[in-house]
Amino acid sequence: MKSIITRKNVVLLGGLVLLVILLGVADATLNNYYLRILQLIGIYIVLTASLNLTNGFTGDFSLGHAAFMAIGGYTSALLTMPLAARALQLAELPVWFQEFVSPFPLATVFGGILAAIIALPVGLVVLRLRGHYLAVATLGLLIIVKSIASNWEPVTRGARGLSGLNAETNLWWAFGWAVITIFVVWRMVHSPFGRSMIAVRDDSVAAASRGVHVFRIRLVAFIMSAFFGGVGGALLAHQLTAITPPTFSFDLTFLIVIMLVIGGSGSVTGSVIGAIIMTILPVILRDLERRFDLPGVSQIIIAAALIAFMIFRRQGLMGHRELHPSTWFMKKPATPASVDAPQQ
Amino acid sequence: MRNIRFMALGVSAVMLLAGCSAGGGGGDSDEIVVGAVYSITGSQASIDEPAYNGFKLAAKEINEAGGINGKQIRVAFSDAASDTTTLTNVVSELIENDGAVALGGTNDSTFALAAGPIAQAAGIPFVASGATLPTLPDQVGDYMFMACYGDDLQAQAIANYSMEELDAKTAWALVDQAYDFTTALNTFFQERFIAVGGEIVLEDSYKSGDTDYSAQIARLQALPTQPDVLFVSAIPNEAGIITQQIREAGLTQPIVSGDGYDTPLVAEVAGDNSKDVYFSTHVSLESEDAVVQNFVKAYTEEYGTGPENAFAALGYDTMNLIADALKRAADDSDPAAVKDALASTQDLVAVTGTISYPEGSRKPSKAVSIMRIVDEVTTFVKVIEP
Repeated sequence: MKSIITRKNVVLLGGLVLLVILLGVADATLNNYYLRILQLIGIYIVLTASLNLTNGFTGDFSLGHAAFMAIGGYTSALLTMPLAARALQLAELPVWFQEFVSPFPLATVFGGILAAIIALPVGLVVLRLRGHYLAVATLGLLIIVKSIASNWEPVTRGARGLSGLNAETNLWWAFGWAVITIFVVWRMVHSPFGRSMIAVRDDSVAAASRGVHVFRIRLVAFIMSAFFGGVGGALLAHQLTAITPPTFSFDLTFLIVIMLVIGGSGSVTGSVIGAIIMTILPVILRDLERRFDLPGVSQIIIAAALIAFMIFRRQGLMGHRELHPSTWFMKKPATPASVDAPQQ
Repeated sequence: MRNIRFMALGVSAVMLLAGCSAGGGGGDSDEIVVGAVYSITGSQASIDEPAYNGFKLAAKEINEAGGINGKQIRVAFSDAASDTTTLTNVVSELIENDGAVALGGTNDSTFALAAGPIAQAAGIPFVASGATLPTLPDQVGDYMFMACYGDDLQAQAIANYSMEELDAKTAWALVDQAYDFTTALNTFFQERFIAVGGEIVLEDSYKSGDTDYSAQIARLQALPTQPDVLFVSAIPNEAGIITQQIREAGLTQPIVSGDGYDTPLVAEVAGDNSKDVYFSTHVSLESEDAVVQNFVKAYTEEYGTGPENAFAALGYDTMNLIADALKRAADDSDPAAVKDALASTQDLVAVTGTISYPEGSRKPSKAVSIMRIVDEVTTFVKVIEP
């Protein structure tokens, strides 16, 4: 039996303790604005790392992440909405619904579960496609979810959206879920299941001929990704305290895809780095915009930077590699290299 | 390759630090920081940019006249980009980093409902410029104020005008189901119209984005007796198309509506068919009132173009409303004192009408201007006092 007190685990535990201390210090010293930005980083890590399961590791390019966020966001918002706001906004719903408020953690999990449940039939249909066709089909899912949100008047209040939620998302929930997501994704990817995912991505015919259940692997990855998408949506809804259908826009889907591509799809730590960069960069640019009085310029700069990035480093900052702190203290890498040879 | 990985880590770490050190700088004691929350890029830009210009103009005039209690006003602004996430970040930034003692802005009730709670939680008064949802202050809390009237007031004004000036006894109501604004306007119009003895012969609905209204118009034409006025509760996007299709069907009754019709789109889209349309709005910029004319003149001098719409006037009034409260506040650096002063605003002369907050309400009772469109030309017809 292998001891759990390995060097790797000690480093991991040390890292977690360090994170908790850093978050504690941040929580005590930073003002609400910086805490908001930090919360957003946590939320985007959840979203990017989970999107990595499909887009990065299984090679199924999905543009439907915002759809699962919307499902999680609306579900959790309906569950946690305070009674006063409920009476004002959801008067058409049955009486039993007017009389309970679910705690936020439960609502978050529930939002994730509902997103995962919906991902099952959706996945059964859209995962028959691959490549561009899959991307378009998942984009279709986003359109369907948005139009349901815009038209299911008694429940979602249509374009008016749900407001008056309590600001439940704090640093601990955002980063707690970020750690859980990273942990789950990491364990999935570094397991026999993850090897199969990567095999499906790199050559699905070869994988199938070696006995990998290609469709099942892709479906499970899609559902897991949807679960954390739903959780991320719930966290975002409870940071904004108000959600409308336009919140879950194409822009949001593309923002997460961009985070993934910048960090390096196919790298868990890459998606974390991508999420951090693409949350902070717009904030810094907005600050420069303010100083030099040039509104709108930040969007142009980000777009130009993306084009340059795609030309000069299209595999993302990390490519398929990982940052693994425990390896910094060892001679050889603890994690095996990807199945395919790294491109560069 | 290893160095690229460290570079990636380094870049994100540096950005994390840079992000935390960005901004900063609280207010000096000889200046008062007021935050402006507007989106000058994105979908809100056409109404938010004039409002922000009006807001800045008011601050400039106050500073030129010697400021408030000897202190200059500094308008802190960061573009909210018509995006809820950015908007909430901006509100938080203005409060926490710029040290704003009061905030003003947003011309959209949905955005106001996202921005308001942050100010409420931080205990900073927030004056919504053009968000007309009547329940807004109650939904957000005691730090939320409105510079504009609520939809209840404008709906009552249209109902009264229809009844008294247009001799209407019966009305048809067409409502856009997609917005708080349109549904609320419809509810309040019907309540008032029925209360003063009118009758709603048929209520019909559509969803923002529809382009064909022939079904609704056919149902209207099938009525045994035609209503005296046609009430349309629409946002600017559909105002022109609906007018066009109603007139094309040969219906000639007056069309009445709220400030959703205060858009050049009615004349542009409906063209010759833009006849006999009456709508309520915040102010007529053609009014001969000296306050309005001075504002139009100052705005034109400052920006080289006249105020684009009534929202410019609302932005101007928002800043003046905050300034008036700062002057009267027991301590102009204490947000709670500013909130109390705002709540006790009485008879403040503003471009969009005299502003007073009735006891216990944070929604002003104000005059409503009724405008009329005839053959693509909009003219001012009447001011209805509350």
